[in-house]
Amino acid sequence: METLSTRGRLTRLVATVVTGALLLAGTLWGQDDHFPFGPFRMYSTAPGPDDDAPDTRVEGVDTTGRTVVLTEANSGLRRAEIEGQQQAYVDNPARLAQVARAYAEKNPGATPLTEVRIVVRWAGVEDSRPTGTSHDQVIATWTAP
Amino acid sequence: MDRAVRWLFEPVPKGRVAAFRTLVYLFVAADLVIFTPWVRNHADIPGELYQPLLVGRLLPLPTPTPLLVHGLFWVLLVIALLAATGRAPRLLGWTVFALYFEWMVIAMSYGKVDHDRVGLLVALAALATVGRVRHGDPEPTEAGGWALRVTQIAVICTYFLAAWAKLRFGGIDWVTGSVLARAIIRRGTELADLIAGVPYLLILAQLGILVFELASPLIFVLPQRFRTWAVAFFYSFHLVTFATITISFMPHLIALAGFLPLEKARLVYRRRGQEERHERPVV
Repeated sequence: METLSTRGRLTRLVATVVTGALLLAGTLWGQDDHFPFGPFRMYSTAPGPDDDAPDTRVEGVDTTGRTVVLTEANSGLRRAEIEGQQQAYVDNPARLAQVARAYAEKNPGATPLTEVRIVVRWAGVEDSRPTGTSHDQVIATWTAP
Repeated sequence: MDRAVRWLFEPVPKGRVAAFRTLVYLFVAADLVIFTPWVRNHADIPGELYQPLLVGRLLPLPTPTPLLVHGLFWVLLVIALLAATGRAPRLLGWTVFALYFEWMVIAMSYGKVDHDRVGLLVALAALATVGRVRHGDPEPTEAGGWALRVTQIAVICTYFLAAWAKLRFGGIDWVTGSVLARAIIRRGTELADLIAGVPYLLILAQLGILVFELASPLIFVLPQRFRTWAVAFFYSFHLVTFATITISFMPHLIALAGFLPLEKARLVYRRRGQEERHERPVV
């Protein structure tokens, strides 16, 4: 059998305890910013049984007036990334110009965007089940100068 | 104390560690190309939208550019495949760990952090410390045993601490809330729509998830035979999650394989090979 030296054991023991303590601290007091020691907070919020559910999308309007839904594939940004920085976009809609830039970088031949907006589709929920109804709300708009 | 330390360093056959290592490094290569290809899209995003995580600010890691993102992609791909061969296990192991960690910082610094990586990151760090192990070698190793054990602990932490986070951020109301309805509205499949139609089923599922996550550490006190069943249950949980809300948790599923006697896959493979050889007619 291949055994470890006393030093090898001690180093590993300390590494185990320190990593465990950091994970525990992240769960108790941390935020996503503390990755990889942040809390495992996937789906950890508790929306009420009758709270409408937000379904966010980003739309662009090009110079021909066509509306394009901006996705991970054509803008490089995931929907959750837009949502993660949502408040920054609401506070300063001019930030959406960067999304238009990302779209132009990703699609060199595409017609340029003159407007980018974040739209939240509020889907109805009752007794913790979807009702199938919804309404849209535009929360941030940038228009090319 | 002594018992806990013995448990932490419980030896496993070297062949098991070798099999797990090959699986993990092949996954890193597959992750780059198949499972999280969107990370490469960050190459074209203006630097203004880069919001580095704490670790990225502390080190400090550079703002991603097309050269950095594409360069890292290709270097990591080649080194992960080399590491999968088992050569220079420490040098290549630490290199894969460092590069994959930076890849993750690039992935998660644009407003969304994923929570499916901790088990894999621990596996990458721990495997780099094991040294040389060969496929099929039955000799027990303490260094390899520790590497698998800490990976298992990280996997179970992902469940148990997730339950804790639910209680921290959502409170006990999480159980009766509409978090699953919300997930289904955002990314549900037709199967999920069917399930959502049954009154109270989603609330029951929420209760089940919380109980399962809180009870997950019990896997460590189960006898080996039941432990494999528990792992099968974990995999089935993720299968249902994927079938309903299309979340795969793939890196976590790879780390979860650290619970399995992977060396047996090789034995079965070899035995089959021998049987086939025997069946061949002698000319």
